[in-house]
Amino acid sequence: MYDELLEDIAQENGLREVNTYTKLAAGLGGILLCLLSTSFAAPLFIAVALSLALLTIARIDAKTYLKIFVGPAIFALFSVIVIILISGGGEIFWRWQPLPWLSLSITRVSINEGLFVFSRFLGGMSSLVFIALTTPMTDLFAVMRRARFPAEVLDLAMIIYRTIFLIMSHLVLVYRAQVMRLGYRSIRESVHSYATLCGAVFIASWESGEDLVRAMEARCYDGKFAALGEGGPVRLRPALAVFSFLVISAGIVVATRHISFM
Amino acid sequence: MHIMEGFLPLHWAVIWWILAIPCLIFGIIQLKKILASDREALPLLGVTGGFIFILSSLKLPSVTGSCSHPTGTGLSAVCFGPWITSVICAIVLLFQSLFLAHGGLSVLGANIVSMGIVGPLAGWGIYRALRDTGVNMYFTVFLACAIADLCTYIVTSLELALAYPAEVGGFLSSFALFMGIFAITQIPLAIVEGIVLALVFKYIVQLRPEILIRLNVFPDEKIRAAGSDA
Repeated sequence: MYDELLEDIAQENGLREVNTYTKLAAGLGGILLCLLSTSFAAPLFIAVALSLALLTIARIDAKTYLKIFVGPAIFALFSVIVIILISGGGEIFWRWQPLPWLSLSITRVSINEGLFVFSRFLGGMSSLVFIALTTPMTDLFAVMRRARFPAEVLDLAMIIYRTIFLIMSHLVLVYRAQVMRLGYRSIRESVHSYATLCGAVFIASWESGEDLVRAMEARCYDGKFAALGEGGPVRLRPALAVFSFLVISAGIVVATRHISFM
Repeated sequence: MHIMEGFLPLHWAVIWWILAIPCLIFGIIQLKKILASDREALPLLGVTGGFIFILSSLKLPSVTGSCSHPTGTGLSAVCFGPWITSVICAIVLLFQSLFLAHGGLSVLGANIVSMGIVGPLAGWGIYRALRDTGVNMYFTVFLACAIADLCTYIVTSLELALAYPAEVGGFLSSFALFMGIFAITQIPLAIVEGIVLALVFKYIVQLRPEILIRLNVFPDEKIRAAGSDA
């Protein structure tokens, strides 16, 4: 887990005061255009544009931004290699049939397919991270409430949100104590320490839930949570910038629909 | 590991959403029923969601030397049933994509089906089948959690194989390949997750058995007997 949740960064980024709907339009629009694209160009453009916006306008630390991508990128890379090996078509560069039902090959079409999937991952992840790093969850709750999400689900989401931070501090304390007592010295001890850690966290979270019930009852809880409003009003400059970004991206999606890498 | 943003083509992302939504609606109906009868359940369900979030964000020591994370849904399915777990899981997956960049929004439907619906359903099925038999309580929890974890990854492989069938052998060949890759880390990981969550369960039985009695996870006598034995 990261030392710092993306949520912490979202609370302090340079786009914090921009209207939530404007930021969501950029992020969700980016995801949708990546999925609609049939070539690698548009997702790559979206990845570059949103990354630049995050690094320059939102003032996100470049090291942190790269760190967010490392884990998912490793998984994506492995999966893309599998896609390249199992897909076929076009000129064959290498082929191996280890089993009668399994043929692995690297072909022109499979390389194009693999690179296309990887670029779509980069575009999609940049769009997702753009939302995550610029929009705090409390703003999203307000949007969800306006979108008429079931009240029970939203209340549950808000409690989970609150509990995550409560548990986190408890967990860090117990984990550090375990590490200091060499609790993760061997696999056997690691499993035991990890189980103790999870059990302690479960009980602690349960007790915090009971405390919450008591606190809410004392404040006349009637089954409905109050939610804060969502960000600032829609302003012309950011709205125009997002509109331009989406129009240019859509233009690239259409213009490059027949273009492939090789 | 969840499927990442942008990894599934649009039509597959939509299909998995279509499959996930009815289950979520059923889960929400159940959630509303529970909350109507017991208002105190909301914070307790909330902390379970927080627990799943934390658990599935923690690195787990794996015997292969690699690190991955447990799903944590098996324990929730045992405690609250599979449908409520699907709603909790959907929220947790949304938070994980926005807090940790694990998973994504377009692929949320696919991740809900694997981690929030099929995994918990399989774990709950095992638990229900063994609950009232003479099988050891901790072994039942171990099996339910391990199977829930394994099924999650089988469905993830299925989702990837359907989206990217092999040129030779089609879907089946691709499924076998994705499964083979996952199996290297996931089979030992599922076993370790089962052991860890069974130990967590034992820890709760020893320290706060009333939680499990209230949730009616196992018959009272069984829990009390296990608590006094420890």
